[in-house]
Amino acid sequence: MVLNSNSTTRSPILAQGEQMLNPIERPQVTQDLSENVILTTVDDLYNWARLSSLWPMLYGTACCFIEFAALIGSRFDFDRFGLVPRSTPRQADLIITAGTITMKMAPALVRLYEQMPDPKYVIAMGACTITGGMFSVDSPSAVRGVDKLIPVDVYLPGCPPRPEAIIDAIIKLRKKISNDSIQERGNLRQVHRYYSTTHTMQTVDPILDGKYLATGTREAAPKELVEAMGMPVPPALLTSGQKEEVNRG
Amino acid sequence: MADEQQAAITETAPLAEAGKASKWLAENGFDHEFLGLDASGVETVRVDRDFLIPICTALYAYGFNYMQCQGGYDSGPGQDLVSFYHLVKLADDADRPEEIRVKVFLPRENPTVPSVYWIWKAADWQERESYDMYGIMYEGHPNLKRILMPEDWVGYPLRKDYISPDFYELQDAY
Repeated sequence: MVLNSNSTTRSPILAQGEQMLNPIERPQVTQDLSENVILTTVDDLYNWARLSSLWPMLYGTACCFIEFAALIGSRFDFDRFGLVPRSTPRQADLIITAGTITMKMAPALVRLYEQMPDPKYVIAMGACTITGGMFSVDSPSAVRGVDKLIPVDVYLPGCPPRPEAIIDAIIKLRKKISNDSIQERGNLRQVHRYYSTTHTMQTVDPILDGKYLATGTREAAPKELVEAMGMPVPPALLTSGQKEEVNRG
Repeated sequence: MADEQQAAITETAPLAEAGKASKWLAENGFDHEFLGLDASGVETVRVDRDFLIPICTALYAYGFNYMQCQGGYDSGPGQDLVSFYHLVKLADDADRPEEIRVKVFLPRENPTVPSVYWIWKAADWQERESYDMYGIMYEGHPNLKRILMPEDWVGYPLRKDYISPDFYELQDAY
């Protein structure tokens, strides 16, 4: 404190040995100290850094992604939350399953989730990814709840949810991240946390081999079909029909 | 054949008069059955699967150059599967162009029908979807593979007698 310093910096107004009460200047030393020193814990610092840069993966399979895309835009602007959309799972911390997950999409989703680095978070967005939504009645292919495939941190209901609701879910996820502790990081490591059953399906070779456009089978009809198409045509049609036959080869 | 068809048309005449394209088919001796008008007032024609390709070729030559839609449906448990074709005469500045619906009724035990891919190329994916959902085999289709369901899926999901497998992922969420 500089108040009771009887040093050389004495005001000329004050007499010898007199002290000034309530000086107009603020004491300098404590102010500098409080402006430059932060007291926190490593957990808080670490969590604050992580929750401020949650990078979501660009993942959308249905109409929920329309709302999510609105969130990316300037009106709702989720960059202010530190969310930078990433196109690769290797750089993403968060996956928002925006849209229905079908049986055909499920292996791809699990694979993308496993490719994300730890720690990783999942927001199940919309009714479809929570329970199957309107497809839960009789759909032969919609997965009833994405939590049957991957662990979900925040469930975000709606059909689809408004962008404000996604912001709310992200804030809830930030609160969840801020409660994490480094001491518990061993428990947070995700070792096959999702439920899986062993289907008795057999793997088959992919039927869509990408060679369809190059095969040429779609250019010329098989011989039997050409013969079948050459069935007798009425005389009124013979000329035009014949021309069509020639055109089709 | 034409006489029989004329007789059939005169029998159904009090109920609904045959449409323009149906009359034209009957005049040229193409065996078919007039099914009346659909909700949009478009004539609907039932065709045997053996005559689908000749009749479709004739309709193409008659001017139906555009296949608007192809699909299938299941008439009911144990009943026929149906493959239908919506044909339109497309032209420049077309104003209410002539349309026709062609239906092929297929027995459930052997639902094979010739592909119209070689007449209208638009049938490519449409017939693949009908195959995927109803198991209708389109003979002569160049690439008849599942288009929507997983490639190792068993069964045809939109048939009325389809029973969903009891996969864990397909069970109720609660």
